Amino acid sequence: MKFSEHWLRTFVNPPLTSNALADALTMGGIEVEAVEAAAPAFSKVIVAEVLEVTKHPDADRLNVCRVNTGMSAGNAVLQIVCGAPNVKAGIRVPLAQVGAQLPGMIIKLAKVRGVESNGMLCSAKELGISDVAEGLLVLPTDAPIGTDLRSYLELDDKLFTIKPTPNRGDCLNLRGIAREVAAITDSDLLPVKEDVVTASIQDRVSVVVEASQDCPRYCTRYVRGVNATAKTPVWIVRRLERSGVRSISAIVDITNYVMLETGQPLHAFNAGIVQGSVHVRRGKVGEKIVLLNGVNVELNAEWLVIADDKNPLALAGIMGGEYSGVTNDTHDVLLESAFFTPEIIVGKARLLGANSDAAYRFERGVDFEITVAAIERATALILEICGGKAGAVTEVQAEMPVRAAIRLRHARVQRLLGIEIAQPQVRDFLIKIGCTVKKDGGDVITVVPPSHRFDLMIEEDLVEEIARLYGYDSIPAHVPFVNAGLLPATELRVSPTALRATLAARDYREVITYSFVERRWEQEFCANDHPITLANPIAAQLEVMRSSLIASLADCLRSNLSRQQERIRIFEIGRCFTNDGGQDIKIAGLAYGYALPEQWSSAKRLVDFYDVKADIETLLITRGAELRFETAQMPAFHPGRSARVVLAGEVVGWLGELHPALRQKWDFPYAPIAFELNLEKISKAGIAHYHEISKQPTVRRDISVEVLENIEIQRMLDAIWRRKPAGVIAVTPFDVYRGKGIDSDKKSIAFKVLLQDTDKTLTDEEIESSIKSILDVLQEEFDVTLRK
Amino acid sequence: MEKLETIVQEALAAFMATDAAAQLENVKARYLGKAGILTLQLKELGKLPADERPAAGARINVAKEKIESALTERRATIQEKKLEAQLAEESLDVTLPGRGAGRGGVHPLMRTQQRIEALFHSIGFEVADGPEIETDYYNFTALNQPENHPARSMHDTFYIAGSRHLLRTHTSPIQVHYMETHEPPIRIIAPGRVYRVDSDATHSPMFHQVEGLWIDERVTFSDLKGVIIHFLRRFFERDDLEVRFRPSFFPFTEPSAEIDMSFGDGWLEIGGCGMVHPKVLANVKIDSERYQGFAFGLGIDRLTMLRYGINDLRLFYENDLRFLEQFN
Repeated sequence: MKFSEHWLRTFVNPPLTSNALADALTMGGIEVEAVEAAAPAFSKVIVAEVLEVTKHPDADRLNVCRVNTGMSAGNAVLQIVCGAPNVKAGIRVPLAQVGAQLPGMIIKLAKVRGVESNGMLCSAKELGISDVAEGLLVLPTDAPIGTDLRSYLELDDKLFTIKPTPNRGDCLNLRGIAREVAAITDSDLLPVKEDVVTASIQDRVSVVVEASQDCPRYCTRYVRGVNATAKTPVWIVRRLERSGVRSISAIVDITNYVMLETGQPLHAFNAGIVQGSVHVRRGKVGEKIVLLNGVNVELNAEWLVIADDKNPLALAGIMGGEYSGVTNDTHDVLLESAFFTPEIIVGKARLLGANSDAAYRFERGVDFEITVAAIERATALILEICGGKAGAVTEVQAEMPVRAAIRLRHARVQRLLGIEIAQPQVRDFLIKIGCTVKKDGGDVITVVPPSHRFDLMIEEDLVEEIARLYGYDSIPAHVPFVNAGLLPATELRVSPTALRATLAARDYREVITYSFVERRWEQEFCANDHPITLANPIAAQLEVMRSSLIASLADCLRSNLSRQQERIRIFEIGRCFTNDGGQDIKIAGLAYGYALPEQWSSAKRLVDFYDVKADIETLLITRGAELRFETAQMPAFHPGRSARVVLAGEVVGWLGELHPALRQKWDFPYAPIAFELNLEKISKAGIAHYHEISKQPTVRRDISVEVLENIEIQRMLDAIWRRKPAGVIAVTPFDVYRGKGIDSDKKSIAFKVLLQDTDKTLTDEEIESSIKSILDVLQEEFDVTLRK
Repeated sequence: MEKLETIVQEALAAFMATDAAAQLENVKARYLGKAGILTLQLKELGKLPADERPAAGARINVAKEKIESALTERRATIQEKKLEAQLAEESLDVTLPGRGAGRGGVHPLMRTQQRIEALFHSIGFEVADGPEIETDYYNFTALNQPENHPARSMHDTFYIAGSRHLLRTHTSPIQVHYMETHEPPIRIIAPGRVYRVDSDATHSPMFHQVEGLWIDERVTFSDLKGVIIHFLRRFFERDDLEVRFRPSFFPFTEPSAEIDMSFGDGWLEIGGCGMVHPKVLANVKIDSERYQGFAFGLGIDRLTMLRYGINDLRLFYENDLRFLEQFN
């Protein structure tokens, strides 16, 4: 909300500068977002009257004016050269006198094309109070000649923009803000004259409040014979403008003005179109209303409407109907001031997508004791500005809200805040914000909040009020003592921090991508035709929740390739979402381009499956559990180059080369290698358990066999271990050869076999027997031939 | 006997003339070998009268020692020179770059998250986690924001099509999950991704928050101030950092405060906090007469921007390697 500081200071005027006042409000809980000057600094500009305009002898576009400055005789009338097209005799305009400082210029005595000019007549733009120059700023004809323009237009005013929190609907009006300023700065509210208009006509409209639980109080009155085209006084227009409200017509301006002043939204109906009684009731299915903003609303019982005997006239507390509002032809006005409960208004304007100052206030809570005062104030202004005669107020009142008393234990204040605030001071604070306080015996007081506060319901609410008036700054910061019990630092889990460190050390860089992705990605990478879809995505390509991180990494690869990167190794840890409610965190990586950064002494080689497999092995090797890779297919991966990662017998993720079709579609020159692991499943770890190191020598034997191409190494190793060859402690493939000397459907594999006994040196016979049993099993199960 | 001295001088000169080990050993043989000049001298001792032999023998031995010592010295020198030559030949251009893989790095936001976790761990806060697709109950209702509460408009929520679920708008629901399953005293920190329908230079539809929660019998607002100020000073490693608490409103805390820290000439908002609202405690069946405590939520993105001088939030999610590489 925006308002004029001058206006505020008519209600409360603490001895504080604008900035100090803003700080006080902010630190009191009403955040001041901006304090702006109403106009930039300028000096020596006065109201002047143009007496006479004659053409400049030597310039077509210039005029020589004689201008009345209202000064004492001698220099009362000045000669000014002026180029503005709208200059004419009789108008009153701003005159920057010789010596005046305007934004960006200083006015000097000058000769313009040979004619002396004793100052400058100004446009709004030259004074910095408007962005557009529409010729001279023409002032009202009653502007007092000779007056300083700044004081005439109240340009030394400041505009405050505040952002009250949603619980402080009471600070959405000047009197409410003033009340708050008085409490925060410990100053007094200035007296306000409360208008009361006595009826001068007998007319009354009959009001039927059917929905009394939604509208506990409804006030209305006729004002007949108004001049709807009357001009809104400058002071109202100015205050409205400085609150960001455009002037529309006198009656609308007055209702807006009173709302800004008191917080009570008002509505003025064209009384001429109201047929019969005024009804306050819920909408009916089949009813429609066209609102002031042109929106057509189909009603039902969720909406509260103001209706006459035939038609809905307005959406209560939100917006008037297009046909029931006042126009320039309106003579008779039916003025409405009501209390609609927050419950019936809340969320409705949002539903319509409409901006409604009234709904904004009603849904936060409007003071239900101001209804009558506000209608009186508006009536008085209408009579003053538009003339007419007012009828008596018809007030229909049902069960009004009750402010329940709150018990406040003094000990509770100290226990929550951690400081002692004396009880009299506590009482003072509560009284300052309008509460009624009664002693309840012992250290308990009973507090009844005022009608304008909808947010004070429990003890803690009062503690907050006490704390903010005491000053959050005044509450000391205390570093608490903590129980020195140690937190677990388990070895049974590997933390994400450790995983990140490992991957970073393996040359992967962490990225963070959006959890919502393009629908197409889920299909292409995961064959997921039914991803979790957002109802309101910010963009169509961020529409579904991802079930895998790999497509996002591919996208990240693509964007970095377009930034001239050539070697890209990235990883991400993020949640993935599946239709069955799964929300597992995954850790995924992608490597692309050369295996190593280009360097002077290593051959260039593209990264491949086995490079990334080693990265996964490094990542998972510390778990103390068996790690295996099994051939398996997944939509994102090349069917012959992808594997399931199996840790301790459980599938924990995937590794593979991006499917060539996807690679082509995404336009990647080389094949990216990617993996994705389930974070929870790879986080479990075992505790290392020492076993004795054998003092016996280790013996190495190499064996080399030829085998059919389609036999996996893992199968051969599994078969060897099933045979439990005596003394064998390790079997590792160290060479795989294809080509010359080997059948085209075969490969040659060389194994390194390590043998060792725990307590004796192995004999040659024992060694040979073990090697033979390995060869036997390979021959029996895989039909290998031994290479010599 | 002048002859002996001549032999010594000749031998020394011959040694000096050699510059390779093999050559030196040849010269040695010429003097000290079986048929060497000095060996022959010794053999001729027998031809001398018996009374002259000891003196002559002694002179020959002196000569022999001189030659042997010169030999040893020359050997060492040649060895040394050989090593020098080898070293000279083997020397590298140490300024060429090292070989092998490079090094990756952790995302700056996660670096911040890890630092926050470590700092709070040091005063006994454990890390908690919770789902990102949430129910309305955990994201709002349990946190004292019933449907249609105007406070909900502070959060522009992403909803899941065809369900009552939503993307969590803050990390606060983790508090509720944790309190439902743990008894006080509770000290947790809960970092994570959160989502709001908002996208411009200062807003990302996905960003990071960290939630903190401390529930015990006597945790006060004054303690809250102490913990937050202390944390921020440690995080930014500046003991003169100014922090202020500004009254504010969150449905799930009472009293509530915004946390601002000094930045340049002004203040920057970096999070919200307050004493946990009794209704929130009641919702998780914690007795608010016995237990109380504070909760806070800080923007990880904002803290990271301030820490490293990053001026555009979007950089975190564009994943430009040239940006990420700056945080090794």
